Amino acid sequence: MAREVISTGNELASIAAIDAGAMFFSGYPITPSSEVMHVASDLLPEVGGKFIQMEDEIAGIAAALGASMTGVKSYTATSGPGISLKAEQIGLGFIAEVPLVIVNVMRGGPSTGLPTRVSQADIGQAQYPTHGDYASITLCAGSLSECYTETVRGFNLAEKYMTPVFVLLDETIGHMHGKAVLPDLEEIKANIVNRATFDGPIDEYKPYKVPMNKPAVLNKMFQGYKHHVTGLHHGDEGFPTEDAAQCEFNIERLVGKINTVAKENDGLDDLPDYEEYMLEDAEVCLIAYGSIGLGAYEAVQKLRAEGIKAGMFRPIMLWPSPAKKIAEIGAKFKDKIFITELNMGQYSKEIERIIKRDDFTTLLKANGRPIAPAEMVAKVKEMM
Amino acid sequence: MRSTIRFTGVGGQGVLLAGEIMAACKIKEGGEGLKTATYTSQVRGGATVVDITLDDGTIRYPYANEGEIDFMLSVANVSYNQFKNGVKPGGTIVVDPNLVQPTEEDRKKWIIHEIPIITIAKEEVGNVITQSVVALAITNTMTGVLPRQSLIDTMLSKVPAKVHAANQKAYELGEKYAKEALA
Repeated sequence: MAREVISTGNELASIAAIDAGAMFFSGYPITPSSEVMHVASDLLPEVGGKFIQMEDEIAGIAAALGASMTGVKSYTATSGPGISLKAEQIGLGFIAEVPLVIVNVMRGGPSTGLPTRVSQADIGQAQYPTHGDYASITLCAGSLSECYTETVRGFNLAEKYMTPVFVLLDETIGHMHGKAVLPDLEEIKANIVNRATFDGPIDEYKPYKVPMNKPAVLNKMFQGYKHHVTGLHHGDEGFPTEDAAQCEFNIERLVGKINTVAKENDGLDDLPDYEEYMLEDAEVCLIAYGSIGLGAYEAVQKLRAEGIKAGMFRPIMLWPSPAKKIAEIGAKFKDKIFITELNMGQYSKEIERIIKRDDFTTLLKANGRPIAPAEMVAKVKEMM
Repeated sequence: MRSTIRFTGVGGQGVLLAGEIMAACKIKEGGEGLKTATYTSQVRGGATVVDITLDDGTIRYPYANEGEIDFMLSVANVSYNQFKNGVKPGGTIVVDPNLVQPTEEDRKKWIIHEIPIITIAKEEVGNVITQSVVALAITNTMTGVLPRQSLIDTMLSKVPAKVHAANQKAYELGEKYAKEALA
């Protein structure tokens, strides 16, 4: 049975993590994400899990990665400045193929920026959070309910593709307090994805000996198998190598296991990568994501009340982006595309890359304030 | 039917809880309620604004639309001045006169009531923390957006049992002052 709760986005993300099977959280508190951590500290001990407040952001992710390497589903939460500090460890997660859910509740930046105010300026950071080549999976919650469902999905994708996954919330959605309808818990449990395991003889365990575009198979620790985990390029058994062919294969596989797979299968799972709202008969398409989508629903309604047939496209999986659908929208709406985001155009650039045009209109803001439906309506009317 | 209410104060005054109580009560009554807060990075003393949206139907955008707010209550001059223009012309504003000084122009634009909220909590209830419940009672008495008993029950469910009596008293006093102000 679906469950109706009254909560905040941050709280729901943490509740979701535990429902998805997380048994470990480590992190360091930072506005506006701290409530994710508070709830973890309340709920994890109740289910037999472990919670540690570490000494800083770097230790916060290092412990979570370590826990995950042993086979325990783990998560951490922070905001943009924390991601900057965690960047090197995130890279270890990518190359060593350690599943981890990283919740980023976005605030204004760069640096310490605007601690208590909303932003969507970590979109680009989520795509390329650290040096080197890899592909990121980034989900962006656009409602209280999605703070829950996308966090659950984050865990399942992390295990399926053996990689860190970003779940992006923002200050507005993380702190807003209201009703959320959550899926049936049994249904969530029934669809939990656990990482693949190797059950063969101990001396044949080669976790990184996998075909192109397939994730590593890392067994749980303490079962007799030998583990070597490194941030250096490594061969089949996890030991360092500089072999040119191996290094080339490693990077092609790291990128391909996400980007190529998403392209070939039109996504990474069966869940929606985007929402289309009243787009069927629309003559203008608003594109928004995260909390800015909340204002865009109302802008669409207001525009329709004034006789302008508006609709909205709201990406949920930001990286890899739902490129096929964005291309369709580009072809259908031509120059009647309106992109609004709380940064200087980070996702607009992705749309421009896909549709290979820049004849869209944007409403961008980076001062820590939300974008009101009325502002969107005024700008769309100028386009029409 | 949508109602939008704004509480403004400074950090640490407890206006957040009052907003959560109103939203929770509306949801309990079968509608939708959303509370958002905007605050500064100062721990205490920074301007804080809480927007509460109540609707029988779906609410998506969680902030009050500027110029459409029905009712505002303010207990700090800094935040009063910063956020008053969100209130629609002819809307109602309640201020604590010891802390907020509306201009003559403001009094022409909005219906302004002066109720010494903090003094009531401190001296008549005997606990300054109950100011948020005094504010809650004033808000609901003046707007009538939520059923009285349901709101009191929701409020009591969110405060520790040992302070139920003080908060019940705070609600009744807030209600009394609001009725007097309206009379």
